[in-house]
Amino acid sequence: MSSSRAGDGGAVLVPVPMEELFAVAGQYERSGKMQEADRLLNHILAVAPNQPDTLHMSGIVAFRLGRQQEALEKMEKAIEYGIDIALYLRNICEVYRTLNRLDDAVAAARHAASLGPSDPLCLHNLAVIRYERVEIQESIAAAERALMMSPDMAGAHFARAEALLIKGDWEQGWEEYEWRFRIADAARMMPPTDKPQWDGKPFDDGTLLLVADQGFGDVIQFCRYIPWVLDRCPNAVIACSGEMVPVLREFLPENKIFFRWEECPAFKAFIPLSGLPRLHGTRIDHVPVAVPYLHADPARVANWQDRMRRLVPCSYKRIGIVWAGRATHNNDRRRSAKLADFAPLAALPGVALVSLQKGPPADQAGGYFGRAPLINIGAEVRDYNDTMALLESLDLVITVDTSVGHLAAAMGKPTWILLATSPDWRWLLGRSDTPWYPTVRLFRQTRSRVWSDVFQAVAAALGDPAPPDAAVGKPKRKRSAAAAN
Amino acid sequence: MSQPAIQMCLCGSGLRAARCCGMNPAAMPPPESSRHLVPLVERAVTAHRQGAIETAERLCLDVLELAPDRPGALTVLYQIRKDQGNHTAAEALLRRVVALDPNNFAATNEFALLLLAKGAIQEAEAQARNAIRIAPQNPQAHNLMGMILTEAQRPQVGEYHYRKVLELSGARDPILLANLAWNLKNQGRMEEGRELYKESVAAAPDIRQTLLGWARLEEADRKFDAAAELLDRMEKQWPNDPGLLLSRAVLLGRMKRTDEALTVLDQMAGQSTGGCLGPNELAEKGRMLDQVGRYDDAFAAFSEGKRLARELSGHHYLDGAAENLITRLGGFFTAGRLQTLPRASVRTDVAQPIFVLGFPRSGTTLMEQTLSAHPRIVAGDELPLINDLTGLMPRMLNSPLGYPEALAELWMGDQREGLDNLRDYYLQKVAQMGILTPLAAWFTDKMPLNETHLGLIALLFPEAPLIHVIRHPLDIMVSALSNHFTHGMFCASALETAATHYVRVMNLVQKYRSEMALRYLPIRYEDMVTDQENTVRSVLDFVGEPFNPKCLRFHENQRYARTASYAQVTERLYDRSRFRYRHYLKHLQPVIPILRPHIERLGYTVD
Repeated sequence: MSSSRAGDGGAVLVPVPMEELFAVAGQYERSGKMQEADRLLNHILAVAPNQPDTLHMSGIVAFRLGRQQEALEKMEKAIEYGIDIALYLRNICEVYRTLNRLDDAVAAARHAASLGPSDPLCLHNLAVIRYERVEIQESIAAAERALMMSPDMAGAHFARAEALLIKGDWEQGWEEYEWRFRIADAARMMPPTDKPQWDGKPFDDGTLLLVADQGFGDVIQFCRYIPWVLDRCPNAVIACSGEMVPVLREFLPENKIFFRWEECPAFKAFIPLSGLPRLHGTRIDHVPVAVPYLHADPARVANWQDRMRRLVPCSYKRIGIVWAGRATHNNDRRRSAKLADFAPLAALPGVALVSLQKGPPADQAGGYFGRAPLINIGAEVRDYNDTMALLESLDLVITVDTSVGHLAAAMGKPTWILLATSPDWRWLLGRSDTPWYPTVRLFRQTRSRVWSDVFQAVAAALGDPAPPDAAVGKPKRKRSAAAAN
Repeated sequence: MSQPAIQMCLCGSGLRAARCCGMNPAAMPPPESSRHLVPLVERAVTAHRQGAIETAERLCLDVLELAPDRPGALTVLYQIRKDQGNHTAAEALLRRVVALDPNNFAATNEFALLLLAKGAIQEAEAQARNAIRIAPQNPQAHNLMGMILTEAQRPQVGEYHYRKVLELSGARDPILLANLAWNLKNQGRMEEGRELYKESVAAAPDIRQTLLGWARLEEADRKFDAAAELLDRMEKQWPNDPGLLLSRAVLLGRMKRTDEALTVLDQMAGQSTGGCLGPNELAEKGRMLDQVGRYDDAFAAFSEGKRLARELSGHHYLDGAAENLITRLGGFFTAGRLQTLPRASVRTDVAQPIFVLGFPRSGTTLMEQTLSAHPRIVAGDELPLINDLTGLMPRMLNSPLGYPEALAELWMGDQREGLDNLRDYYLQKVAQMGILTPLAAWFTDKMPLNETHLGLIALLFPEAPLIHVIRHPLDIMVSALSNHFTHGMFCASALETAATHYVRVMNLVQKYRSEMALRYLPIRYEDMVTDQENTVRSVLDFVGEPFNPKCLRFHENQRYARTASYAQVTERLYDRSRFRYRHYLKHLQPVIPILRPHIERLGYTVD
């Protein structure tokens, strides 16, 4: 028995059975009231510190509250006291994965799958972890086993899609990729509609609504298909967030760009931009590459060139850098670095780092004391119009996997993109180039979430006067970092 | 019924508060209503002149109780309080005399001197300017201005006023010549200063201050024998003069005769009442003890020097004011607001500033000496102009607000060029200082803690290189401990407050840097010592000037740096100052927790 205080006065203590308290905590957890759940579960644990279900749920709550180490300790203890419960093992997988303990994660996932052979979620988890470990074939196998048990399991389809796409099997991959909108907690792409998704067949008797879905990087990457769409449906309009107008204006007049659903005209069919590669039939050797397909406004270019000239003498090699993406991205832990990781570049003579970073990570610029000057131009950049114009003043852009990388690449600028061991599917595996952008050079982590090797390699490439693939990332200015030596 | 207690004024004037500092000027009766008191004032003046101080004091208090705005009675009471050593009351009374009668030359002159003596240089300058407005042909007014501007580190303009005195008086007063000589020494014009000292001493051989000033010129010019000779000459006449002994100790220290220097300081202590040295002597003694490796003794001397300085000057860290200013600056200069503010345009017809930023004692003098060895860069030294502008800004922008909020006026149609005006004020003052040469494309401004005003600087000079000299924070603390300086709102009056101010300013710099695109380059003092050529090259690259090997031989730069570091920067680069904190680690324990986050952020360790 436990007891509960009645009312705020706290004078009367009413005994409440622990099972009931646990049930209330569970309701809190399911309805997203984590603080309340946390309080109740800790209350139970104070009385029954080894109760496995409580430990397990308390671990989940701690995990959701960002207290990952505590979550791990509680869930490991739950497993210790609640021998052989598949659910615990299935859930601890995600904690191990978050903490980058991928061996433990895969072991727990396999153990969970063996304990719950009919539980497709265990196999789905295993597929996700295998992807993160870059064991792509195993990832596909796990996802397929899950799908044998539960053919409509959207998460497993999506896991399979990502694995197929990253290994280059785009034909099957695009089809599986269509499951992305059916994942239970996926953000809704657009308001409910009774109109069909476009099937790629031409029509000119109605409006096609394009939806600039997913992240800004996706929009920049996939807007290349708009001319292909216009060839088939001349009456296309696009719904996007306001930030994307400078990019989409390249393809559509402004009166066909909408950033409020209620202002969009009636349409006959819709299609998300991320669905166009499938309709187009894009394959690795058949990617539409009309790079540069984005161009900066010349007046703005002149302004930013003047501003940059005032901030960095032109003898410097100007390198635009971005070290972090949006923190809410589900892959941000893996894809984002820190400004301090750029230290090997900052040690190079003749280099000026130009921060294009936006958002809270931009504050790291204030605490930078490296040798190369760092110009925090991001503080003055208002929108993608500015970013595009500014890119014209730079010799090279070095970025983690963010929209700025796509922007620079779509403008045909020398762009080096730094990738996690298990990157987004679009960067494929093992190669230092990409079929999507001819001026991009890829640098890949060799150890999960360890950036030091990547930045050492980047610094070495910068210092190398004639890299083997010099066509990519070749500085425009005569004075390179190496020449300054 | 009990009588309400009479509240005497806290300034110590002897008047009631309501008749003194708490007086409401608007409630004063018109002056003519108290004319019947004039005979009493005259009696007070006469009594004072005749030495009947008590009578004079009583008369003045009586008159001022009835008519607190009688300038004659206020002046006599001021004299009495001043002679009694009651500086607070004296200042309050004299301030009132000047406020009541702004055209009173004698009072304005006196007030400016009083302010100069107390170190309130900005206010003193305002009064000295008034004195010249009242009496433009009066040599005394120009002399005062010369003294104040020399102290205010604008010796070039001060020189103008001293020379005006020569012209107006038609005579070559030996004290004036010595003052002018000191002024020229501060401009680094040693030979001209020396000639004037010679002339002054020839006309008046026995003026202690003149000989002392001359000896210090010789010492600063590295003519140690000549300095020693002058001190010997003084010793014959004033064998135990504290100024002489301190100069002797400093000279011996520079000649590396540390033990003898310490003996001289001990001699000074023996002679003084209470056997104690003053703050400057204690700092010098600490530095000597440091040189010979007696670190515990050195720390004791430094600490005692700080304690004594606080006690004698009354200067404590202006904690609340510092926090207030820094909070307001951080709150004002945000990326969003900066996107809406204009920037001053860049003048191409005059040399442009390079701001050498850093906490006092972090190596800014070394950086300036290095840069100014370059043929296209001249040294501006510690220019007080950015600080002046923060005071002048509300008036120049016609704003009811203070700095930085007054910058909001830039949004008004009639103040759009406001920043250009502020910029031109700065550049005009620099031109007046005579530091620019025909070849100079750049001049340095190494006023320590100018980084507090990075936001304003970047608005005024958006192209100016900002070279921030970074040094191990604990080394800075050791230096702050071993020197007396007033920068940073008197933060160096104690170790803990120096650390607090350091943290505040570095946090503010971090805020500026994350909110603004600045032409900013941090340079480590330690790199200047261990990797001199690469460091100098990177600074010159950043400025946009070609490398010049002269910059590596900055110690041959004949320029004299006025600040406390001058003795160090005339030596070749030496390693002694790097990680000097290790000798004082146990003494620095109280400030390590305060500084640790910045030590780590800057990539230093404590070992």
